[in-house]
Amino acid sequence: MKKVGGVIVSHGQVANELVAAAEAVVGDLSHITAVSIGWHDDVEMARDEIRRAIAKVSDGAGVLLLTDMFGGTPTNIAMMFLKENDVEIITGVNLPMVIKVASNNREMSLHELAEEVEEQGKEAICRAGTLLAPQRPSKDG
Amino acid sequence: MVKRQLPIVNALGLHARASAQLVRLAAGFNSTVKLVRDDTGLEANAKSILSVLHLAASLGTGLHVIADGDDEEDAVVAIEKLFQNGFGEI
Repeated sequence: MKKVGGVIVSHGQVANELVAAAEAVVGDLSHITAVSIGWHDDVEMARDEIRRAIAKVSDGAGVLLLTDMFGGTPTNIAMMFLKENDVEIITGVNLPMVIKVASNNREMSLHELAEEVEEQGKEAICRAGTLLAPQRPSKDG
Repeated sequence: MVKRQLPIVNALGLHARASAQLVRLAAGFNSTVKLVRDDTGLEANAKSILSVLHLAASLGTGLHVIADGDDEEDAVVAIEKLFQNGFGEI
């Protein structure tokens, strides 16, 4: 089965740590890799690094780029790959999104997975207190 | 369809790694497997880790499992055992 690859791209070490955390939860993540772009990195260098990362996880089913923040340098550099058909970019990466890509074990097109990951990322953001309100423990309970 | 109450006995409840264990186990069965919170009625697909995490089930949360399919009994027994063992954490 061909798997959609994932590349997490961020400022600083966020990307590496997200992948490490997802790996601790799900297990082996051979189809996902991280590119952490240093604050003073050269754009050309960063672009080469993303290109290498895409090649590393590409299985022929396309690659999903998850970036930290729309408008930020990691996203802007990642955008340079958008004209290639087998790349999609989703911004605002969070751990549930990485876990979603990691635990994808169905035959899914890049497009379908991208939609699900975007949805998942949004769903995972919630005010926890409002979800748990009905059974908030009382002082004497 | 088989339905059974699940005991959460480990201190951390259904946290990320425990949920991952559950999902790996549930994925091995043909039956559909879902978990339901007794208090809110919130349901989760036991084969999806993000769905399970959304239950936010901790020590003492009332939870039951519902399996439906040709191996429903085996699925429920295996999952019940995993919970009783506290996901290997106790």
